Amino acid sequence: MIPDWLKGEERAAPPRDRSPFALRTLKTLGGVLARLQIQRGREGRLRISVLGKLLLLLALLLCLSVARHPLLLLGVAALALGYASTLPAWELASVLRPALGGALLTLLLVLPAMLLRPAGRLNNVLVVGKVFLSVTMVNCFNRRTQWNELTAALRRLRVPGVFVFVLDLSLKYIVQLGGVMVDLLTARELRAVGRDRHKYRSVGGVLGQTFLRSIRLSRETWEAMCCRCFTDDYKGL
Amino acid sequence: MHIPENYLSPVSCTVLGAAMIPVWVHAVKKTNEELPGEKIPLLGAGAAFSFLAMMFNVPLVGGSTGHAVGGTLIALLFGPNAACLAVSVALLLQALIFGDGGVLAFGANCFNMAFVLPYVGWGVYRLLKGKGDGTVRSCAAAAIGSYVGLNAAALCCAVEFGLQPMLFRDAVGNALYCPYDLSVAIPAMMIPHLAVAGVVEAVFTAAVYALVRRTSPDLRYERILSGAPEGGKRSRLPIFALIAALIAACPLGLLATGTAWGEWGAEEIAEIVVGGKTLGYTPAGLEKGWSLAVPMPDYALEGVNEALAYVLSAVIGVALLVILFKLLSLVMKGRRKNT
Repeated sequence: MIPDWLKGEERAAPPRDRSPFALRTLKTLGGVLARLQIQRGREGRLRISVLGKLLLLLALLLCLSVARHPLLLLGVAALALGYASTLPAWELASVLRPALGGALLTLLLVLPAMLLRPAGRLNNVLVVGKVFLSVTMVNCFNRRTQWNELTAALRRLRVPGVFVFVLDLSLKYIVQLGGVMVDLLTARELRAVGRDRHKYRSVGGVLGQTFLRSIRLSRETWEAMCCRCFTDDYKGL
Repeated sequence: MHIPENYLSPVSCTVLGAAMIPVWVHAVKKTNEELPGEKIPLLGAGAAFSFLAMMFNVPLVGGSTGHAVGGTLIALLFGPNAACLAVSVALLLQALIFGDGGVLAFGANCFNMAFVLPYVGWGVYRLLKGKGDGTVRSCAAAAIGSYVGLNAAALCCAVEFGLQPMLFRDAVGNALYCPYDLSVAIPAMMIPHLAVAGVVEAVFTAAVYALVRRTSPDLRYERILSGAPEGGKRSRLPIFALIAALIAACPLGLLATGTAWGEWGAEEIAEIVVGGKTLGYTPAGLEKGWSLAVPMPDYALEGVNEALAYVLSAVIGVALLVILFKLLSLVMKGRRKNT
């Protein structure tokens, strides 16, 4: 026998509820971290030594930062844009979007100076162009380089092993923990019904859980390393 | 054939710009319908050909210079509608970065080189080629089509120049903008274009078209229209190798000294001798007119070797065009999915 209350049509209309600022910020931050595409690079058809690419990138960035001679700027622009034009369309969009964002932000920063001091406009435009080209070059490098090969290239540049190790693990954890944060917040949202007046309590919970998860992850990494004969010595890296 | 800033009155610029709006709308719509998504990034290569063709200045009779446009070539490869878009984007880039052609005169330049040229060139090609598809016949039709297209565009340009002194004069009777009327502008523009620039355009179009027919036959607009099968993935290497060779050779365009007819700077126009007479004054519109400070005027930078700056400008221009059309292909793909 089905009770009457189960037969009746129910119209649940919980009051609208918005996440507080802190939670929304945390979710956005976690989403951005989880989306960091630092380890998704792949080699193009034309394989160049990663060390060579890294040194070229550093040299070009240095040139671009200190150069005042137009030829150097023009050369770097031709090289960066020429290389970017060989990327497939979808990759090009993901390379240029942050570059345009960076250039736009720089433009906003220098806009007051451009308006107040028109004489220095050319220099300000140069700064915007330099930001655009730098971000484009770093993005192209990121897109076309596998992360493990970059770690190897850093070691060949005599960067201390412990530094490379910490850098590598930190970047991996940033992506992992970003994902953890988004998952926790999504789970909280799915479980919350109606208006919750004590949402701020969750902020601490989410951050605490993320911290605990990071400790667990680092312990697991440590144990995995010990299982693979790690002896507190980074020389073999 | 690039009309510089202030040679046409703002009214003429507005009228020609307004005339181009429906053309652009039609071209975007038709390109979206006709051209397969994977061909749109290659349209950037077409625009790059046009951009590079315009950098090869050749000396013309009378001491001025001229250049090919390559609009008919793009029309043969991707259709006149896509050619209209490609040449318009190339002209926009030239106007905004290299100061070649005015920003205010952008609509007029597009009317001549992105509308009249490719559509006339394509029409003449279709008329002459008929139903045959032999290489010689097609290439000859392409050469004649491009020759007629370029000269039709030059005629439009001459008429636009020649109408200015008839319509816009100051109180003492001096021209406000371009000072030469139709009786001077038409022969001055048409004789060099009929004699030299048209021939250069015809040779350029026929040579590149013959190469494309042999190496990438799937790139022809006629095949796209007839819905012929793609015939497997083809290498585009010969096309990009040709672009690289054109970039390397583009300093040859600097050998032709002198300014193209109708493209003089405001500081030199008073000294120009036409028909044995010096103009003797600078038209007010040119003297006080608006002009945009572009980053690389005339493809040059102060303190940089002229030929090197020319090559680097070509690389930057070609790269920007390829990037723009690749991004455009993404937008169009997204739109097609939505509809």
